[in-house]
Amino acid sequence: MKKLMASVLAAAMVLSLAACGSSASSTASSEAASTTESASSESTAEATGTKLNTDTSAMYLCLASEPEHLDPALNTTVDGACLAVNSFVGLLTYDENGNIVPGVAESYDVSDDKLTYTFHLRDSLWSDGTPVTAGDFVYSWNRAANPLTASDYGYLFDGLIAKNPALDSNADGSYVDEAAANEAMANNDILLNVEAVDDNTLTVTIETPCPYFLSLCAFPTFFPVPQASVEAADPNGENPGAWAAEAGFVCNGAFTCTEWKHDESMVYTKNPNYYDAENVTLETLNFMLSNDEAAFYAAYNAGNLDFIDSVPTDEIPNLKGINPEFQVLDNLGTYYMCFNVNSTLFEGKTPEQANAMRKAINLLVDRQYICDNIGQTDQTPANTFIPPAMSDGNGAEFRQNTADYTYPNADALGYFDPSEDAYDDNVAEAIELLESAGYKFTDDGMLSDETPLSFTYLTNSGAGNEAVAAALQQDMAVIGINVDIQAEDWKVFLNDRKAGNFDVARNGWLADFDDPINMIEMWITNSGNNDVQFGRDPATGKAGTVPSYAPQDWNKYDELVASIKSETDFAKRANMLHEAEDMLMETYAIVPLYYYNDPYMMKSNVSGMYSNAFGYKYFMYCTKTAA
Amino acid sequence: MSRYVVKRVLLAFVTVIIVSLITFFSMNAIPGGPFSKEKATSPEVQAVLEKRYNLDKPLGEQYVLYMKNILHGDWGISTKTGRDVWDTISGSFPISAKLGLSAALIAIVLGLTLGSIAALNRNKWPDRVIIFFTTLCTGVPSFVLATLLLLVFCLELQWVPAWSPTNPNYVLPIIALCTYPMAYITRLTKTSMLDALGQDYVRTARAKGVPQYKVIFKHALRNALIPVVTYVGPMIAGIITGSMVVESIFTIGGLGGKFVSSIQNQDYPMIMATTIFLSCLMVAANLITDLVYKAIDPRIELE
Repeated sequence: MKKLMASVLAAAMVLSLAACGSSASSTASSEAASTTESASSESTAEATGTKLNTDTSAMYLCLASEPEHLDPALNTTVDGACLAVNSFVGLLTYDENGNIVPGVAESYDVSDDKLTYTFHLRDSLWSDGTPVTAGDFVYSWNRAANPLTASDYGYLFDGLIAKNPALDSNADGSYVDEAAANEAMANNDILLNVEAVDDNTLTVTIETPCPYFLSLCAFPTFFPVPQASVEAADPNGENPGAWAAEAGFVCNGAFTCTEWKHDESMVYTKNPNYYDAENVTLETLNFMLSNDEAAFYAAYNAGNLDFIDSVPTDEIPNLKGINPEFQVLDNLGTYYMCFNVNSTLFEGKTPEQANAMRKAINLLVDRQYICDNIGQTDQTPANTFIPPAMSDGNGAEFRQNTADYTYPNADALGYFDPSEDAYDDNVAEAIELLESAGYKFTDDGMLSDETPLSFTYLTNSGAGNEAVAAALQQDMAVIGINVDIQAEDWKVFLNDRKAGNFDVARNGWLADFDDPINMIEMWITNSGNNDVQFGRDPATGKAGTVPSYAPQDWNKYDELVASIKSETDFAKRANMLHEAEDMLMETYAIVPLYYYNDPYMMKSNVSGMYSNAFGYKYFMYCTKTAA
Repeated sequence: MSRYVVKRVLLAFVTVIIVSLITFFSMNAIPGGPFSKEKATSPEVQAVLEKRYNLDKPLGEQYVLYMKNILHGDWGISTKTGRDVWDTISGSFPISAKLGLSAALIAIVLGLTLGSIAALNRNKWPDRVIIFFTTLCTGVPSFVLATLLLLVFCLELQWVPAWSPTNPNYVLPIIALCTYPMAYITRLTKTSMLDALGQDYVRTARAKGVPQYKVIFKHALRNALIPVVTYVGPMIAGIITGSMVVESIFTIGGLGGKFVSSIQNQDYPMIMATTIFLSCLMVAANLITDLVYKAIDPRIELE
């Protein structure tokens, strides 16, 4: 008896120790993996797929955890934008083919100089029954651009619609006339040239012709918000999002938020006052507020959910190509790593040698391995910064060779060939480049001990990002470059990356609107997103004298971006955007790894969901069948 | 007695102040801040936000302002969601407390019972079975147990939904929460019960012919309770403020997740509020524990 007891106890202890050894998430998901495997094999035998939810009037979904803001002007996340497009509608919106179609505006006219837009609004209502007017848009756009609202996307109005001169600011961000600026902000008098001619007519005059202005009219920051409730909830102007902090707020879209149990669930109920309510068949959308992969994946498989917006990475090999409920959408965005051009890594080199080092490191990366084994959702290896499918602002796709522009590597449509076939050639070229930068190699193609090369790769914590870091470490080890990985918590990481406290850092960008300028503009010297530190003095972190080894004369890039923004000929503008991407990529300070995509799962009895290129999902025209 | 309580309450106040000071300055020492974001905000917006949350003032002044506001009942606005911090705490604490108190009650009742049974049947089969299961329960981490419960009862057997907007299920999270404290209390009770049963006064009572149940409940168990109470007081304070892991797996909007997420988000007002709230509960639990000692064992001098 004693012996038996002892052995059972020992077994139990070994089990629990094993559980302690691995990290929380991997244990949880591997548990999930083994159980769902058996679940799916059983269900395949029954040939029914995972269990269905047959309540046809309601859809059950999990997008993410608790949303930060339901105020569309304050939203910054993709899941928040999904909630926004299902409960609000702007002047324009997207259809199932990704085209921009009329929303609150039934039609619009554009002046010949492409500067003045006249929107003709349909008669539509807020969810409380009051009419949506042109004045609501004037208020909402001024509010979104108002620094007091502190909208992260308020910058979208900069250079687009002329601002009240009272808000002119100095280089350091302070206002020229503090009192006048405060008064303008308090009166919400920010934008010039956005005018309500009457309740159904809105005219907007923009500063320079803008190829993406109409797509902004379908972007959440430009959605209308109900002035009366916004002001009632925030009489002191201290908390602009207060009106939408709980369920029951007024909106003008297909659904209204009727119940919100924080961190648990939200119920969106069909809005009878929505102008297209007759085509909305679902009565409710029920959101599970969770980012626990084991939890929402179990809920999906148990038939509690119809839709999940992310899929546990460990499950993807069991789903891809096997379960038709698993789908992948392309996103407009690039996962990349960036160098700090002011890093001491390049000390003692010429700018050309520093460039050669970066280019060599770029060529050593085996992108296909990262896509196949870490990303796993058939991502495309990247060899440009601007992702495919982005338009060029002149009616065509940006990433193609044209009569006026050919990519440096014309066949690969990019700056180098990222394919597996080119890998050996790329490594050979990398060695040559490093030799030109003064590094010595032994006969077997390894970096000599005399000239060691070592750098730190900074990433934010997380299984996927750290796996990419490890893959990069191995790629560099192929020729003897040493990489130390430094993983930090998100906010600490952001702080270090922005301040230039790194050699090489993980980076990524999802486009805010469908135009390359969004990803080109972020690299001007004074941009808050200039993580590479182009044109900056490392001592001050501001525009100034750059180290001798950093790319020189970055003001040329700044000037080019400024001229792109004022260019009125869109064909010429597209070429200038290519020129800017060339300038950027030729520094090799940006090393694109892959283009983002977005896996999701949806039950076979649901149809009619569609998404735009930014991953905003429209559920209002979904239908559910009983089986 | 009342003098003792007054003294302890004053001491508790000092403790909370010290905790708040340490939290305030250490959270400000972490690089980054509540408004550092991937896509950079303009300097104008940054200035508005810093002014709104008093972050443009010197640290010392920020702290004094913050504590002053709390004394006026204003716990501030979350930098992440813009929601009133006190609304968030007063909305999520009752959920955690309901789950936690149920779990604590089950843990105490089962733990005392099983512990006593094990002690009274020392080295017989009930003792072995109980000790085997309690060893297992103390060894399995809560995230493993919670995930197992989810997979078995929600996915395989489908007895309860993994998530439901209308009728959230609290049985599984309560099981996940109570397992460890129950096992721990069982083992504590068994040990101290055995100790008490071996004492002279128990032998005397038995020699006098006091009935068995009286010996157990009046003499042995009461004295065996002291170490259990020492554990249970802070355990209750901990369990009613929620568990991040259990709340995450069962999608419960309790307070536990807020402790962790507020730090990840560097949501200063939320970090301060959750920490001060928990430290108040902790010092209260410790004070009550000491008073309960006195009630159980009048020989204990509170000084």
